[in-house]
Amino acid sequence: MSYAYLFKYIIIGDTGVGKSCLLLQFTDKRFQPVHDLTIGVEFGARMITIDGKQIKLQIWDTAGQESFRSITRSYYRGAAGALLVYDITRRDTFNHLTTWLEDARQHSNSNMVIMLIGNKSDLEARRDVKKEEGEAFAREHGLIFMETSAKTAANVEEAFINTAKEIYQKIQDGVFDINNEANGIKIGPQHSPSPSLPSSSGGGAQGSGCC
Amino acid sequence: MAVADPSYNQVDTSSDEEDGAKNNINGSPSSPKSVGGYNASKQNGTAVTHIDRYGFMGGSQYTNPDDEHRIAIDKLRQRELKWLEMFDDWEKWMSKRFKKIRDRCRKGIPPSLRSRAWQYLCGSKFLMEHNEGRFDEYLQQPGNPKWEDDITKDLHRQFPQHEMFNSKGSYGQEDLYKILKAYTIHNPRDGYCQAMAPIAAVLLMHMPAEQAFWCFVSICEKYVQGYYSPGLEAIQVDGDVLFGLLKKTQPSVYKHIKKQQIAPILYMTEWFMCLFTRTLPWSTVLRVWDMFFCEGIKVIFRVALVLFKIVFGDAGNFKDCPTLYETLEKLRHIPIQHLDEELVVQDTLRLNINERDMEKEHQKQIHRRKTKDKSKKGGKQKS
Repeated sequence: MSYAYLFKYIIIGDTGVGKSCLLLQFTDKRFQPVHDLTIGVEFGARMITIDGKQIKLQIWDTAGQESFRSITRSYYRGAAGALLVYDITRRDTFNHLTTWLEDARQHSNSNMVIMLIGNKSDLEARRDVKKEEGEAFAREHGLIFMETSAKTAANVEEAFINTAKEIYQKIQDGVFDINNEANGIKIGPQHSPSPSLPSSSGGGAQGSGCC
Repeated sequence: MAVADPSYNQVDTSSDEEDGAKNNINGSPSSPKSVGGYNASKQNGTAVTHIDRYGFMGGSQYTNPDDEHRIAIDKLRQRELKWLEMFDDWEKWMSKRFKKIRDRCRKGIPPSLRSRAWQYLCGSKFLMEHNEGRFDEYLQQPGNPKWEDDITKDLHRQFPQHEMFNSKGSYGQEDLYKILKAYTIHNPRDGYCQAMAPIAAVLLMHMPAEQAFWCFVSICEKYVQGYYSPGLEAIQVDGDVLFGLLKKTQPSVYKHIKKQQIAPILYMTEWFMCLFTRTLPWSTVLRVWDMFFCEGIKVIFRVALVLFKIVFGDAGNFKDCPTLYETLEKLRHIPIQHLDEELVVQDTLRLNINERDMEKEHQKQIHRRKTKDKSKKGGKQKS
C-alpha cells in the first residue's frame, strides 16, 4: 500500500514494562498476556492517517534487559520517534528513565521525538508512580507524556499517533530533513504531489516533499 | 512476503493462522514468537486441548501430527541399540571413533536416549558427578536480588504454550527458576541474561533440574562462551564471522545485505543466543541440537548459512526486498514448510565450507576488532 511517509519508531524501556504488548495492541488490536520475551529486536508496522496523509509506522521493539543495551544502541540509528516506556506499578522502571534517555539522546539524531509512556494504567491499585511524576519528568526533559494500558488499549492509539503528529509537525516546520533517511523518515514510493498542482510536473518521489 | 502494512481497517483481530500477510509482530504463522490460540477442538461440547509429541499445545512450535516424520520402529530400535553400545564404552568411542558418533548425531539421536546422549556429549554427566551436592548448595545460597527479580519476571515468558511452562507455579517454571538462579551464583559475572532462559527450558523438557543445570553450565562455558556476558561482545564477533562466511558461501546475498547496511545483530542475535529454539520447527530444533552437542557452535553457523539459502535461493532473489525491513522480515519469518528437519540437516552437510574457513574468519574478525578498538582509543587520546 502506498504511503506518503514512513516513520521509524523504536520502543525502549526496562524489561517487563509492556513494550511488546503495546506494540501488539497497536498493530493487532489485541492483548497477549502470555508471550515469549523479546530477544534482540522485533518489528511491527501499521498505517495511520495524519492530515489526510497515509503514514506508515515501522516500529522496532527492543529487548529491555541491561545485558542487551550494547546492541540496542545500534537500533536507534535512523529512528524518528521513540516510545520510552516505564511501568507505573514498578518504581525502579521509572528510576531508570534517565539512563534510557541518556542512551537515546546519545545514539539517535537530535530531532528524534520522544514520547514518555507510563504503562499498565489499568493497575491503579498497584500504582507506584504518580501520574504527576511522569508529567514532571517529561516536562523537565522536553518529552511528550501519556499513561497507557496495553491491556485495555487505553491511550495506546493516541501514544503512537501523537508521536507521529509531532514528527509530522516537525517536517512541516522544516526541522527534519526528509531527504536524509538517517532522520528516520522516508518519503513513500508512490507519493507524488496532486496533479492539480502546476509545480508537480516532473517531480519524482524525492522531489515531492511537503509544503 | 512483504512487510505487512495493514491499514487501520484491515487489521485482523482474529487468530487466523493462515493469513501470512497479516501484521508480523507476533502474528505471522511462521513466527516462533507468535502465540496464537491453543490447538483445541470440541468434543461433546467440551474443548479438548491437543498436545503434540513434544508437549506444545499451540503457537508456532506446535507440530501437526500429520506433518511428523516418523522413523520406522525397527530402524529406531536398531539405532537405540547402537547408542546403548556407545554409552557402554563412551570414552573409547569418543577418542577412537568420534566420526561415527558424529554421523549418528547427524542422523538424529533416538528420542528415548536424547537426554542421556546430550549429557554424555557435552560432558555434563562428568561435571555433575564431580560436583555432587553443588546444585543444591547454589539453591540454598542467597542470590543477587536484581537477577532474581529479572528471572522471576521471565518465567512465564518461556515457551508459554508448552505444557511444562504454561502456568504459574508449574513444575517447569519452578525448575527453570532454580537453574537460572543457581547459574547466577555459579557465574556471578555473567549472572542472568534473558537469552539463557529458552536454553534452560529446552533442557528441562528433556531432563531433571540438576542434570539440566550441568548441561546448561556446559553449554554456557564450553559451547557458547561469552554469549551471555555483559556487553555481548562474543555474539557481535560471531555476527561478523557469519557475515564473513556469507561472503564466501553466498556472495550475492552478502552484497544485498551489505548494500542495505543490515548489521548482523539484527538477524542473528536470536538465532545464535537462543540456538534456534525460537526460529525452527521443533523437530528441526532437536536435530540441530543433536549435531550442536556433538560438533559445537559451527553447527549454528552452518544452519544460519542454510537459512540464507532457503530464504533467498542460491542465485539470490531480492525482488521483494527493496529495503532493510523487507529483507529482515523475510529472514525472520521463514515459512515453516521450508524448514523441514531433513532438508535443513542435509543442507548444512552440503555447505561448501569447512572448519578451517570458520576458524580463519574468526581470527580475521578478532583481529579486525582489535585494530578498530586500538584506533578508537588512539583517536580518543589524541583528542
